Amino acid sequence: MNRLTQSLVLILLGGAVLRITTVSNEYLNYVKPGFRYFLIAAGATVLVLGAIGLLKKEDGHRGPWVAWLLTLPVFAIFLIAPPPLGSYAARSEEAPARPVGALTAYTPLTGPVSAMTIGEFLGRAWGDTTKSLTGKKVKLTGFAVPSKKRGQWYVARMQIACCAADAVPLKVAVLGAPAPAENQWIEVTGTWVPPRAGGPEPGTVAPELDATDVTEIPQPVEPYE
Amino acid sequence: MPPADSGRKGPSSFGPWVFVAVLGLLLLGQFVYAPYLTSPALQTWSTVFVAICVQALPFLVFGVLLSAAITAFVPASFWTRALPKRAALAVPVAGAAGAVLPGCECASVPVAAGLISRGVTPAAALAFLLSSPAINPVVIVATVVAFPGQPMMAVARFVASLVVAVLVGWVWLRFGKGEWLRTRRHHDHAGFAEAMRHDLLHAGGFLVVGGMAAATMNVIVPREWLNALAGNLWVSVLALALLAVVLSICSEADAFVAASLTAFSPTARLAFLVVGPMVDLKLIALQTGTFGRRFAARFVPLTFSLAVLVSVVTGTVLL
Repeated sequence: MNRLTQSLVLILLGGAVLRITTVSNEYLNYVKPGFRYFLIAAGATVLVLGAIGLLKKEDGHRGPWVAWLLTLPVFAIFLIAPPPLGSYAARSEEAPARPVGALTAYTPLTGPVSAMTIGEFLGRAWGDTTKSLTGKKVKLTGFAVPSKKRGQWYVARMQIACCAADAVPLKVAVLGAPAPAENQWIEVTGTWVPPRAGGPEPGTVAPELDATDVTEIPQPVEPYE
Repeated sequence: MPPADSGRKGPSSFGPWVFVAVLGLLLLGQFVYAPYLTSPALQTWSTVFVAICVQALPFLVFGVLLSAAITAFVPASFWTRALPKRAALAVPVAGAAGAVLPGCECASVPVAAGLISRGVTPAAALAFLLSSPAINPVVIVATVVAFPGQPMMAVARFVASLVVAVLVGWVWLRFGKGEWLRTRRHHDHAGFAEAMRHDLLHAGGFLVVGGMAAATMNVIVPREWLNALAGNLWVSVLALALLAVVLSICSEADAFVAASLTAFSPTARLAFLVVGPMVDLKLIALQTGTFGRRFAARFVPLTFSLAVLVSVVTGTVLL
C-alpha cells in the first residue's frame, strides 16, 4: 500500500465517521449519545492525517497490507447501513436480563397513564416492595418481538452501556393484543399483570402487560435505553 | 536513495487504482447490492462489527496520539529517572501507574509500544499495558455503578487486575526473551504525524480483524448455553473467562454485562472482569499486529491463565 493509498484510506475512514456523527444520527445505532464529540474529534484527526499525507510530498514508508481492512467498516456503513439491533438480537426466550441500576425505592405513579422506560418497568415489576405498578396504566416504547408462547408477544428495547456489542435485551410480554409485524416500533399502553402465586420467581421470566392500546410509531432517534 | 515511493510509476502505483475500484464499488453497491444485504443475522453482525470499530476508534486515536507524543517529545532519559532502576521494582510501579490513564484497552497497546521504543523495560511496559485498561478510575467507577450494594466487586477487580499485571511483568522479566518482541522500526527522523499515521493504519487494521471475530462470536454464541455451566466453580469461571475473550467488550462497559449474568457466582463474574481488559479477540489482534506473532503466542496464554488463577483466589478471599 503506497503513501497515496494510505492517505486515501484515512480520508475515507475519517469521512465515514464524520458522516454518521454530523450529517446523520446513525452513530446512535452503535454507541451511546455521549460518544458523539469524541467520535467527531477522532474522525477529524484521521481525516487531517490523511490530508497531511496528500499534501506533503516527502518519502513515506510503505504501509502495512492490513490497513486495507480499514475500508471494511466504511463498506459496512455505506452499503449495509447497519440498523439498530432489533428482534433478531432479542429473540431468546430465556430469562431476560436484569436492567442495570434497578432501584429499590420507587416514587408512586400518579396521572392517568405513566410513560416509562422498559428498564424502569422491569425494576418496578421485579424489585418494588410497594407494588407501585398495581392497577396503574403505563405506556412502554419498544419494538415487537414474536414469542413462541401462545397468545403473547414481546415489546423489547436493547439497553447498552457503551456500544452495541454489550447490548442486553429488556423485554415485557404483551397479552390481549394482536402481534404487530416483527421489529415494528410501537407504543403499548396497558396494566401490569402481577405474577400468580406459586409461579416462577420474579426476574426469571418477562413480566406481563395486559394491553389496551398498541400504536405503531416510527423508530425513535435514540434506539437504545 | 530515491524516495521509496514516488507515487506515479511502477508496481507501487497500483494502490490508488485499487482504491478507485473500491470507491466505485461503494457507489455502485449503494444501488445494486444494498437490497440483498438484509438478512437479520447479517445485519446484526454488521451492527455489532461497526459498533466495535466505531467505539474503539476514539480510544485508538487517543492512544496513537499519546504514543507519538511519548516518542517525539519525551526524552528517553525521563523514563530512566521516573522508573526505579531495578527492573523488578519498575514492574509494580508501572503497573500501578496504569491507574492514571483513563482509556480502554485499545489505547494502551500503542502507548506500551511507544514506551518500549523509548527504552522502558518491556516487562514494565507490559505491566502497564495490562493494568491501565483494568484499574483506571473510569472503569472502577463503572464497576461500582454496575454492582450497586456490592462495593467489594470493584475492590476485588482492582486488586486482582493489579496483581495479574505485576505477576505477568515479573514472569516476563525472568523468562522473556528480547527476540520474541518485535519492536517498532521507526526511523528517528519519522515525525509526529508520520508516526501517528503508521500506527493508526497498522493497529487500526488489526482492530478490524478483532472486531470481525468478536462480532461473529457475539452473534453465533447463544448466551443460554452459558447458564447450563453456572453450577460448578471452575467450569463457571472458565466459561465466563472465555466469554470475556470472545465478546471483546470495552473495559468501560464490561461491568454492566457482568452484572446482567445473574446466574453466575461473584467469583466467575470477577474472572470475566479481570480477563476481559487483558485478553480478548480484538486485543490479541492488536498485540499480534504491534508486537508480532511470537510475542502474542506466549503472552496471551500466560496472561489468561494467571488472570483466571488470581481471580479465583481473590474471589474466594474477598467476595
